[in-house]
Amino acid sequence: MSIEIINSFFASVQDFGRKGYRSLGVPVAGAMDQLSAAYANTLVGNRSDEALIEVIGGSFSFKILKESLIAVTGADADLIVNDTKARTWRALFVNEGSVIEIRLKQRGLVNYISFAGGIDVPSLMQSKSTYYRGGFGGFRGRLLKNGDVLPLKTTDVHSVLDEVAGKRPTKDVLERIPDRDEILNLRATKGIHADLFSEDFNRIFQFIYTVGSSCDRMGYRLEGQCIEKARTLGRVITTAVDRGYVQLPPDGKPIVLMADSQTTGGYAVILHVIREDVDRLAQCSTGHKVRFSLVDTMTAEQFTALYSSILRNPPLQEPEEEYYGELPW
Amino acid sequence: MIYDNPVIKESGGYVVHIEFCTGINLNCNICVQKLWQALMELSKSGIDGGIEEIVPAYSSLTIFYNPEKTCAEKLRKTVLQQWKKLKDKKLPLESSLWMIPVAYGGTFGPDLEEILAATKLSYESFIAVHTSKEYLCYMLGFTPGFVYLGDVDDRIALPRLKSPKSRIAPGSVGIAGKQTGIYGVESPGGWRIIGKTPIKMFDPRRSPPIAIKPGDKVRFYPVTVEQYKQMEGVYLTDLSTSQGEQNEH
Repeated sequence: MSIEIINSFFASVQDFGRKGYRSLGVPVAGAMDQLSAAYANTLVGNRSDEALIEVIGGSFSFKILKESLIAVTGADADLIVNDTKARTWRALFVNEGSVIEIRLKQRGLVNYISFAGGIDVPSLMQSKSTYYRGGFGGFRGRLLKNGDVLPLKTTDVHSVLDEVAGKRPTKDVLERIPDRDEILNLRATKGIHADLFSEDFNRIFQFIYTVGSSCDRMGYRLEGQCIEKARTLGRVITTAVDRGYVQLPPDGKPIVLMADSQTTGGYAVILHVIREDVDRLAQCSTGHKVRFSLVDTMTAEQFTALYSSILRNPPLQEPEEEYYGELPW
Repeated sequence: MIYDNPVIKESGGYVVHIEFCTGINLNCNICVQKLWQALMELSKSGIDGGIEEIVPAYSSLTIFYNPEKTCAEKLRKTVLQQWKKLKDKKLPLESSLWMIPVAYGGTFGPDLEEILAATKLSYESFIAVHTSKEYLCYMLGFTPGFVYLGDVDDRIALPRLKSPKSRIAPGSVGIAGKQTGIYGVESPGGWRIIGKTPIKMFDPRRSPPIAIKPGDKVRFYPVTVEQYKQMEGVYLTDLSTSQGEQNEH
């Protein structure tokens, strides 16, 4: 089983990332919005951490070369199957030869396309995630290109369909993706260098930042008020960093590290955004407004533990009668 | 200065960060190595099942934990307990010595000319200085398989470039301050490039993808362009002369 990529702008194969190799400098990588990825997989009966396609910024289409069961989640988008609109956030049976297109709408930036059985690419260092900067993982270590034929694992799609037909997430799962005019609140604990900022530390909570234009899978640069203290701090001794770390380089403007975060860094870390909010930030494009709020470690631990359990096993609603009609969302 | 007791910080609800000192020095890094190895043993033995990953750096150790299984408060106690036991012990740390061939200067080391001019060293004496020591691998990081080594002789310790280059070839050997390092994959970088090893340092298909680990020792030796070509693309452990004797520190 396989699919053929017709049009791809920025798409790659991802799972939950490569863990256990950071002491060798190998970044974790993995899906930018893990909850949307987990749902995409669960909707087609896969383990939630199975490999799927991550599409950033929409503009993606592909052809199904053998009948499959797929699901599209993440950003609000029009899903077009052979010129007809289809539902996102739902298992979808597609015939051989179908052409599927994703057109991004107003809310969110990143989509996931899962396939029952998963994508058949080799696992490297226990993950199928693409780390394109290093040229390894996923499909040939790179972003997907037009004309690529991506192999899928063979599975009995009809029996999977019986299991999953009509199941869907609750409304709040879709609503967690920040709307364009919503100021996204990023909950964060103190970062490992918070003390170095002395009285300037509290200033970061008073400002509203906008997502800048230099953003990619490695990090999101925020524009807005400078934290002056950062200018005098300069570099700190290189230490391990992670997704969600908010670095302040000497220009005083925050960078939030994302999925392809380098493993170590030498800029002062003022805050550490909790996991579920990093995933929500991933859905924000240039110009989106964000602010930070402080949580303590115990609260962050509770949020992280709960989020991890949801990622492992995303809860789905059973199909209802209205499943055949249009839903309000 | 190494702290009496390591400073422990927590963040994000799943990270415990342990600092041993505020600088880069060998003794401090040995503290990092000691605690790293002890905690790895502990986590392998399943005593603290909540530890998912431990990343050593110059003067710090970062524990990534699963808050479903443990918490920062508990890990803080574990770390301090372990450190109390380890602190004054001289431990035989697992450490290998790696011999790395390098072609110095020319297209292999585009920044060497400038370094020779700045240091007033001849090509030969620069190589003699750079190859004179066994360097400690303080850590790996930022990109896959980048090896941070130190400390270089003061005569060749030049600061990093003012503006980083956008592409540095894998295998490039650079200098930044007291550090020397090897790029594992192509990446941007601000280190002054003095040469290049023909050896494949990082191969994602291997397990482990890079043979050198934090705490190992590295010694460079010069090779000619001819020798470079013969060794080009060979993985480190496939090079018969690559590994020296096991040693302890």
